[in-house]
Amino acid sequence: MAKRKGLVINDRQLDLCDDLLRKLKDVTGSTFLALISTSGQPITTASDDYHPETLSLASLAASSFAATQQLASILDEKEFTLLFHEGKSSNLHVSQVSDQVLLIITFGRETQVGKVRLYTQRAIEVLRPIFEGSDEENEALSVDADYEVTAGKAIDDLFADLEGQP
Amino acid sequence: MPLINFAAREINYKIVYYGCGLCGKTTNIQYIHRKINPSARGKLVSIATEEERTLYFDFLPLSLGTVKGMQTRFHLYTVPGQSYYNASRKLVLQGVDGVIFVGDSQITRLDENVESYLNLWDNLMAQGDDLSKLGFVIQMNKRDLSDIFSVEDLNELLNHTQSPVIEACAVSGLGVFETLKIVCKQVIAKTA
Repeated sequence: MAKRKGLVINDRQLDLCDDLLRKLKDVTGSTFLALISTSGQPITTASDDYHPETLSLASLAASSFAATQQLASILDEKEFTLLFHEGKSSNLHVSQVSDQVLLIITFGRETQVGKVRLYTQRAIEVLRPIFEGSDEENEALSVDADYEVTAGKAIDDLFADLEGQP
Repeated sequence: MPLINFAAREINYKIVYYGCGLCGKTTNIQYIHRKINPSARGKLVSIATEEERTLYFDFLPLSLGTVKGMQTRFHLYTVPGQSYYNASRKLVLQGVDGVIFVGDSQITRLDENVESYLNLWDNLMAQGDDLSKLGFVIQMNKRDLSDIFSVEDLNELLNHTQSPVIEACAVSGLGVFETLKIVCKQVIAKTA
């Protein structure tokens, strides 16, 4: 088993994040929250009955945020730490938790933006340490050779008979 | 760099289709979206201009299902090919696990192919990545056209890493899944 690079999430981290997202959801009255990686992959979500297509949302939000960072660079600003989209019935708030993690929040018109910003800022202060130092903590977590063999067979099955079909 | 969520039992890999403008990156991903079992794929997201040229990226998530208890996904992205969209290409490359370089086999596209290949190296190096640490496959597309390079010539031009090379015609689907299959296995092997 080799040590893997990249973002690795363990049970303790996920439990802490889920607990905090639920609290943040309750205190802000928001409809949907998600932690995603800066490369556009979802980590965990919190929602009662609103379930947007998380994979597309994560991909687009991470890309928009990355573009925003480049805009900051062009404008000689060190960083823009949040991205906010205001709609007729809902709003989207994206903020940076760490180098590799972003927090997405959607909320309706009945929720005050200032309230979301205030509590999000506090939540990020709690979330950030959860991901700091995670590389050392997760060093023992890896995917073994069995996984590689089984995944290889699954890939063959998934793509079987699809080549060059008209 | 894959996202491994041991707590949620998920692994996500990011694969990027790279290459010059009009080489067939979006055609590859559209063919995959059309042909693969709908239960194994998510929504195809395209950020394109009115002329259907990729402005930012195309995105297609594929699910491999549960492997050894881990839900395994491949997130496929394309980059905009035109040279002046380099800022967008850099953003899409962030966190990449595997690259499919789509080469345009037409002799008239020589300069664009080389420029795009060098640009890929520049952008990976700028973010501290190295093709030797990633999955990498070269797809020689448009093999159905006349006035095309030989495989040997394209190999010499674009394949100093001795990576797998697949001949393809993305419009008809020839080589599309073969290319994807190789890079999917590579990214898993590189990080296992």
